[in-house]
Amino acid sequence: MIPVDGSGQRPTARPSRPDHRLRTGIVIVLVMAITVWSARGIDVDPAAILANWPNAVGNLVQLFQPDYSFFPQTLPALVETLQMAVIATAVGSALSLPLAFGASRAANPNLTVLRVVRFVMNLVRSVPDILYAAILVAIVGVGALAGILALVLFNIGIIVKLVSEALDGQDLGAQEAALAAGGSWFGANRMSLLPQILPSFASQVLYTFELNIRASTVIGLVGAGGLGLLIDNVRNYFLYHYLSLIIVEILVLVVLLEGFSSWLRKKLL
Amino acid sequence: MSATAGSVRPVRPANWGQRAAWWLVSLIVVAAFWSVRIKWSALLDFPGQSAKYLRALFVPPAWHKAGEAFSSMILSVQMAWFGTVLGIVVSFPLSFLAARPLAPLGVRLPLRGLFAIIRAVPEVVTAILILSVTGLTPFTGALALAIGSIGTLGKWGYEAFEAAESGPLEAIRTSGGGMVALLRWGVWPSSAPEVLSFWLYRFEINVRASAILGLIGAGGIGKMLQDNVQFRNWDVVGMLLLVVIIVTMAIDQISGAVRVRLVSGRWELPLVRRLASGGAPRRKGLSPEATPPG
Repeated sequence: MIPVDGSGQRPTARPSRPDHRLRTGIVIVLVMAITVWSARGIDVDPAAILANWPNAVGNLVQLFQPDYSFFPQTLPALVETLQMAVIATAVGSALSLPLAFGASRAANPNLTVLRVVRFVMNLVRSVPDILYAAILVAIVGVGALAGILALVLFNIGIIVKLVSEALDGQDLGAQEAALAAGGSWFGANRMSLLPQILPSFASQVLYTFELNIRASTVIGLVGAGGLGLLIDNVRNYFLYHYLSLIIVEILVLVVLLEGFSSWLRKKLL
Repeated sequence: MSATAGSVRPVRPANWGQRAAWWLVSLIVVAAFWSVRIKWSALLDFPGQSAKYLRALFVPPAWHKAGEAFSSMILSVQMAWFGTVLGIVVSFPLSFLAARPLAPLGVRLPLRGLFAIIRAVPEVVTAILILSVTGLTPFTGALALAIGSIGTLGKWGYEAFEAAESGPLEAIRTSGGGMVALLRWGVWPSSAPEVLSFWLYRFEINVRASAILGLIGAGGIGKMLQDNVQFRNWDVVGMLLLVVIIVTMAIDQISGAVRVRLVSGRWELPLVRRLASGGAPRRKGLSPEATPPG
């Protein structure tokens, strides 16, 4: 029932709606200003697309006609990409597990170590994988090894962050019991926390494997082996019908793997 | 363990499926190690070599190049911003068309397929594909990032829209609201914080990716990096890495703080929170932060 007074106004207890118009306006203007500034910085030039269009049509047509006879030649690179991803995932996850415990405040009582590990991990994460690859190629030479090392660094950054956050969210009752019964921190973590996070660790490892397949197709562009090296070769000669075959291969690989790992992750969690 | 002490602990059940999976995984890993063509001996000098290179990179970095490095990083950030904005403009309407309660199957499925294909192709490859149309410019890089963003933002968008509560939607439908009212008052209010924070998150991803696109020549910090790696100007490379790290981290902090504000309604810097929260470990149900505000 709505009480109505003489004026026909409803004396409601509803608070007045906060007025965000000014704030929204400022945000919109700011975003537009940054966009215009960016557009000027990168020389947005739609006219260039029109001017280049006649030249480009040939390449684009080639793109839709993958040359399947090229497939046997891509096979070694494809296998190398898979090998790199498998090895990097295995090494990366093995190294990440202890580091994740070091970066979790639930599992690591030593604040200094905790902060150092977290700081280093933040640094490691802020460099893109392909930049690692570019430098590692200079250090260990062109080939799969540089790629694997780059992927390992990249994996450690991701897994440690995700798993240490999973650790922080765990129920600490069992760990407390183990500590109270005289267990060491190492023993308590191993017997109480490790079993709890194993499923989520396994699912992060799978996720990282997916990322690795994706990444290992491109880090070859700077000389780190795998399909990327092949992409670099064919693109320098504008062999777009070969390039499109490689893209089809990447697509098939990624889609198959995504399906498989999402199926497996559902079983794990 | 012997059972003579009359222990009550039951025998651990054999999980054959799990055991087989472990064997399979180990086998694959061993096979990969065994078959890959790598001179593992190169790994022996790796520690010494990396120490040498770390010294060459950072002791000291080429400070006189700091200005140049910073301005090419700015170009990368501009590339990332413009690509993100373009990606948002295209993906936003598309993700409405790909959401279950809002569009028919015939529209939804092709769009979702398109998003999936885009997500499977790395941005660098997209850039290589379109550079024959646009040339090797930062604009090409931004376009490649925009296309890449459509894949992820489209997917995250329709997932967020589908998660919108059905109550308001039903209320709007029954009171005769049209499609526009449905989107504006039913879907948008509940998914807005999430969608906005996805946009920012994609911007963070694009900042990293724009550095990568430079490596194939699209300009920005990546190009400067590639050029200096080729001429082995290690002190300049070190300076560039420092700039990449500092700027990426700063952007992550700002954008992360805005995202936390969007989703939880509080202002805080993620890194500060993560570093400051080193104190006593959280016991479930005991700490005040375990209970959500409100």
